[in-house]
Amino acid sequence: MDQIMVFQMMVSGAFMGLVYALVAYGFQLTYATGKSINFGQGELVMVSAFICLSLTNLGLPYGIMVLLGLLCGALLGLFVERSAVRLALEQKSEGWILLTIILGLLFFSVSENIWGRDDRPFPTPISSDAFQVFGISVTPVEISVAIGVFFIMGLIELFKRQTLLGKAFEAVSTDRDAAELMGISANRTVMLSYAISGVVAAMAGVLISPITTVGPTMASALVLKAFSVAVVAGLDSGFGVVAVGIFLGILESLTSYYIGSGWREVPGLTLLILALALRPTGIFGKAVIRKV
Amino acid sequence: MLIVKNLHAGYGTSEVLTGVSLAVKQGALVALIGPNGAGKTTTMRAISGLVKPARGEVFIDGRPVQGMDASRIARLGLAHSPEGRKVFGTLTVEDNLLLGAYSNLPKFFGFRKKSAKDLERVYDLFPLLKNRHLQSAGTLSGGEQQMLAIGRALMANPKVMLMDEPSMGLAPVIIEEVFTIIRRLKKEGITLLLVEQIAKRALEVADFAYVMERGHIVAEGTPAELHKNESVLEAYLGEVSSVV
Ligand SMILES: Nc1ncnc2c1ncn2[C@@H]1O[C@H](COP(=O)(O)OP(=O)(O)OP(=O)(O)O)[C@@H](O)[C@H]1O
Ligand SMILES: [Mg+2]
Repeated sequence: MDQIMVFQMMVSGAFMGLVYALVAYGFQLTYATGKSINFGQGELVMVSAFICLSLTNLGLPYGIMVLLGLLCGALLGLFVERSAVRLALEQKSEGWILLTIILGLLFFSVSENIWGRDDRPFPTPISSDAFQVFGISVTPVEISVAIGVFFIMGLIELFKRQTLLGKAFEAVSTDRDAAELMGISANRTVMLSYAISGVVAAMAGVLISPITTVGPTMASALVLKAFSVAVVAGLDSGFGVVAVGIFLGILESLTSYYIGSGWREVPGLTLLILALALRPTGIFGKAVIRKV
Repeated sequence: MLIVKNLHAGYGTSEVLTGVSLAVKQGALVALIGPNGAGKTTTMRAISGLVKPARGEVFIDGRPVQGMDASRIARLGLAHSPEGRKVFGTLTVEDNLLLGAYSNLPKFFGFRKKSAKDLERVYDLFPLLKNRHLQSAGTLSGGEQQMLAIGRALMANPKVMLMDEPSMGLAPVIIEEVFTIIRRLKKEGITLLLVEQIAKRALEVADFAYVMERGHIVAEGTPAELHKNESVLEAYLGEVSSVV
């Protein structure tokens, strides 16, 4: 009985971990091309989720709502790139760190004013009635998280490998100058990566909100954990985020089961501190050296 | 074809180029030689837009391009095979070549079909690249990477090509191969500005040459004229008495 319960916790944790992995994957996308990340990515997840909620309340069908939500995510990503990141990168400064945090705070208070402070349920046509697999109960909503995460990541990887634009994306990631010499605009590629990263954030919002509900506070918890995952997995290494994300999700779930739900944030933060401590050059060390 | 007038450029506050002027006529092979640190690479980077010139003009096909982004200048018909080759190591040989033609190709689908002819031409020039077309570029030898860098630059059918030290770090036999390729390109009528450490080899293939020192041009002329110039001979060709 007890063992089943532990497995149950692990499975639910793993689904949560997939969402951390997805947001972390968004970090990797922009880090690859622009050597920068959006620390307000969690707010992008939240704002997109709120927009989706409003769209649904307007009576739009689920499918259309998702598509529009993803589009909003892309626009928000572009907005972050234009208003915060580009400015700093043009001056070759690390100011994007502060600027994206500030932008995130801005998104936070705007959302609070538009949508209020309460957590709200997020309607979905996918059922949350559990069914049993080997004695462990799984809900279709949880399954949809897994499918959604792998679908969007697979789609983006396919784009990177099979289209010339995707190969250009890789080229800018490996050598910005050499890519420019091929006629590939590095600026536009960075913009594209922020747009795709915004889509990824919106997707994370659509997938996770039916489980966690939507509220202004969903952002900060999510972004820290995703950041831990990205740092541990490596900001420039592909699918490592999935493994680390699942690991963190399970760890969190077990921590709250054995120690108490108040402790569930601890594993993520510990992981982050460890990762930072074990990388003496700092996480952005490589980027800084590159610019000198 | 390529005209550079009074170009000034540098890195941060240090000025490296102090008024470089040169010209490469249509179909000509022009060499740019000079000691280490003279500013040859910086000249090429300032022409292709990787370094923004502080002053001066660059014309490609009569069109001023100074101050534009490197990607824009590349789209206007300039190809630059950079010092140190700079191939995309994680991508395959063929992907590297396809990216060479990036501005002329559709970005999503059908780019392989559209580039087939240019690919064939480059594979014809470098059969070894064809054998390794699915290998990732980072695993190629230095010589193979140099061939790839040249092939990649050719893929765009450029109006003007810059080639920075293609012999760098290569074994003598491979250098021989590189120069065979350069001669062949010359026969095909390519417009080429070539930077070379091995001045002697460069002067053998060039129609015209510039000698650069400390950020500006100190001598220019046909290879025969430069061979008569004692100071150039002494400094770069290591043979004071023998005149061609
Ligand atoms: N990225 C850079 N930042 C600062 N200074 C640089 C940079 N690149 C080159 N320089 C300086 O500019 C000067 C000219 O360098 P450049 O590479 O153009 O010379 P070069 O003629 O190509 O030399 P070599 O034959 O060794 O390749 C040198 O004094 C060098 O130290
Ligand atoms: Mg050089």
